Amino acid sequence: MNRRLGMAFALLAGAFSGGAAIAEGDPVSVTGEVIDTWCYFSGVMGGPEAVVGSAHHTCAMWCAAGGIPVGVLADDGTVYMVMKWQGDPAIADGTAMLDAQSHRITAKGTLYVRDGINYLMVAEIAADDGIVNRSHEDFGVVPPFAIPEL
Amino acid sequence: MHRASLALLAMLWAPAPGLAHDGASHRPSPAEAAPGAEALPFPVDIRPDFDLTDQSGNRVTEADFAGRPIALFFGYANCEAICSVALPTIAEAVTRLGPEGARITPVMITVDPERDTPEALARSLPRYHPRLVGLTGSPEALAQARDAFQVEATEVARDAAGEPIFAHGGFIYLIGEMGEVRSVLPPILGPERVAELMRRHLLVN
Repeated sequence: MNRRLGMAFALLAGAFSGGAAIAEGDPVSVTGEVIDTWCYFSGVMGGPEAVVGSAHHTCAMWCAAGGIPVGVLADDGTVYMVMKWQGDPAIADGTAMLDAQSHRITAKGTLYVRDGINYLMVAEIAADDGIVNRSHEDFGVVPPFAIPEL
Repeated sequence: MHRASLALLAMLWAPAPGLAHDGASHRPSPAEAAPGAEALPFPVDIRPDFDLTDQSGNRVTEADFAGRPIALFFGYANCEAICSVALPTIAEAVTRLGPEGARITPVMITVDPERDTPEALARSLPRYHPRLVGLTGSPEALAQARDAFQVEATEVARDAAGEPIFAHGGFIYLIGEMGEVRSVLPPILGPERVAELMRRHLLVN
């Protein structure tokens, strides 16, 4: 099952989980890639392997700056929606996460789950390996118009 | 970038209604919210607190929405990024709820007051939904509204026409009829899912 379907099923499961209780947070350490959640889930720019890593880095930067929620795609395929980023008082402020877009990181923080959505409050970036997914070698720039012609 | 998403909704509707501010009643605080009201999914202190102007030129504060749940989004009319996804999603979700959805007021608070005047909002917002309320105001009044939701908005670039492009928070806030924020939804959810969560958090007490 691909990752997008996995997330879709998780959201669907949330839909039938009955009344929403007050969420309780759990301390977590998440290792994975910082992603552009819109392009990842919508599929409008290509398959899930093409809209991560270096191939999609420029678009991901535009998306984060434009208000598209930033997520962390963990190694097990789970996607976490970043609600707070270390040191930034705003909620889901994409501009605060630009420097980490497409990076492989280990984030420590608190996880709140409701309605099948993983809300991650990042307290600390414990590791930042930079962009390690060299997807441009297979896909080029995705989408090609992410880099404007001058 | 995501211009294709603009094709999600190409509807022409009637002009949006205005909201009058009577200045008399004020909403209870979230602490006074109705029994059964759900807390946010994570612990942040956000609540409606604004004094703005709608697209009909009426002064509107959070008190004017007392007794009516709202789906709130921060954006701007010329946004070709997340707004062109979130606003059609909110509109379609409310429509999908049918008569029940009529209880929910969709609201956009602009981050671009220079261009989003009441007149401009009155022209642009009906393409999303006939009841979409657009709120604008002075930079200070809009900053107060954003602060209440811990939302950032910054001009990050100019487009080819020299018009500003704003970075801004892109989540959808579901606010109960007593003014309590009941959930915060990522705008990447589809309209059907958003409608379902609107029903769960705004229409079922």
